[in-house]
Amino acid sequence: MARRKQRMACITNNSARKTTFKKRKNNMMKKLRELSTLCGIEACAIIYSPFDFEPEVWPSSYAIENALKKLKDMPAIEKSRKMLSQESYLKGMISKAYAKLKRVRRENHEKELKAVMFQSLTKGIPQFQNLNLMDMDDLGRLIIQKLNEIDNKKKSLREEVTESQNQTIQLTPIVNMVNPNPHQI
Amino acid sequence: MVRKSKGRQKVEMVKMANDSNLQVTFSKRRSGLFKKASELCTLCGAEIAIIVFSPGRKVFSFGHPCVETVVDRFLTRNPPLHHQNSGTMQLIEAHRNANVRELNAELTQVSNELEAERKRGEELNRVQRASQGNCWWESPIEKMEMSHCEQLGGSLEELKKAVAKQVDRLLIQTTTNPNSYFAAGSSGHPTLIPNGGFNGVPVMPTHPHPHAWNPGYGRFF
Repeated sequence: MARRKQRMACITNNSARKTTFKKRKNNMMKKLRELSTLCGIEACAIIYSPFDFEPEVWPSSYAIENALKKLKDMPAIEKSRKMLSQESYLKGMISKAYAKLKRVRRENHEKELKAVMFQSLTKGIPQFQNLNLMDMDDLGRLIIQKLNEIDNKKKSLREEVTESQNQTIQLTPIVNMVNPNPHQI
Repeated sequence: MVRKSKGRQKVEMVKMANDSNLQVTFSKRRSGLFKKASELCTLCGAEIAIIVFSPGRKVFSFGHPCVETVVDRFLTRNPPLHHQNSGTMQLIEAHRNANVRELNAELTQVSNELEAERKRGEELNRVQRASQGNCWWESPIEKMEMSHCEQLGGSLEELKKAVAKQVDRLLIQTTTNPNSYFAAGSSGHPTLIPNGGFNGVPVMPTHPHPHAWNPGYGRFF
């Protein structure tokens, strides 16, 4: 939607900074209003721009003072738990990103080992020259997992065969009843 | 391709009817709102405070430099402390700004790494899907017939033995040279040999030939 990715640092050009501020502030206030309407919740904002002395407030001074009163009445633990500053917010985002990164790296590692396994099968020659002990360990685990799946599949396939055999056997008594003395001519 | 969710849809600006949708919407939009607020502060040097009461009557707030200072400034109609001629306040302010700069830089860096890793994952998926078309032994075991199960099982058993052999070899190498535990390439990045398309059935030698080992074997000794 935007023209390009913005570098997350203070914009040095004064007029660019002013334009960006106006645009982003308006969009943010829109988001705030939508959040309040869609979820039927109370929300407020106080914004001090670097260009003005007076703050912009929403929805109104009165509403804000009410909200602040409500905030004060809350036990200290409650409100401070979710009270974020720029620093704590960013720290939180960073640790979430690291956690995701770790997870995706692990998933990719699994995918690569799977590829090694399949390529070894395809070529008929093991393809693990570049793997270290830890990788080999993981690869072994992966192979065993696949073997277990195969065993389970074979078991269920055999069960299916037995099932259909049982059904065939059940038909016979009915045939006998039609001719109770099959050996009699 | 089956869509997991309906995707972007225009939503009417009234209170949401479905309660669980409302909760999810609150969570996502609040998160997005705080992100926008953080960016506004970083990019333009604004000082803001946002207070939001959740449907569950919990309170979420975001503030820069922090909720309390902005609220105090609003209530007392005083100019911000750092505008006053206080050396200490200015120092604190400068320190905080430096912190925020560093944190933003770190967040950008980690986000970029995450993006790169995700792209790598998608590429791996693509390659896997492509080869799955050519090789029956790569398709899900769920759908396999008995003869394929037996054949694949046999090949995997052979491969398992090959793995065990290699592990032994690496262990010997480790005991003679403890530094080489993590050697032989970085963990998690084996060379991906692109599959050029294969017909026919996987062949695993019933008696593993020494010749089947890559010359890499010779590298270690």
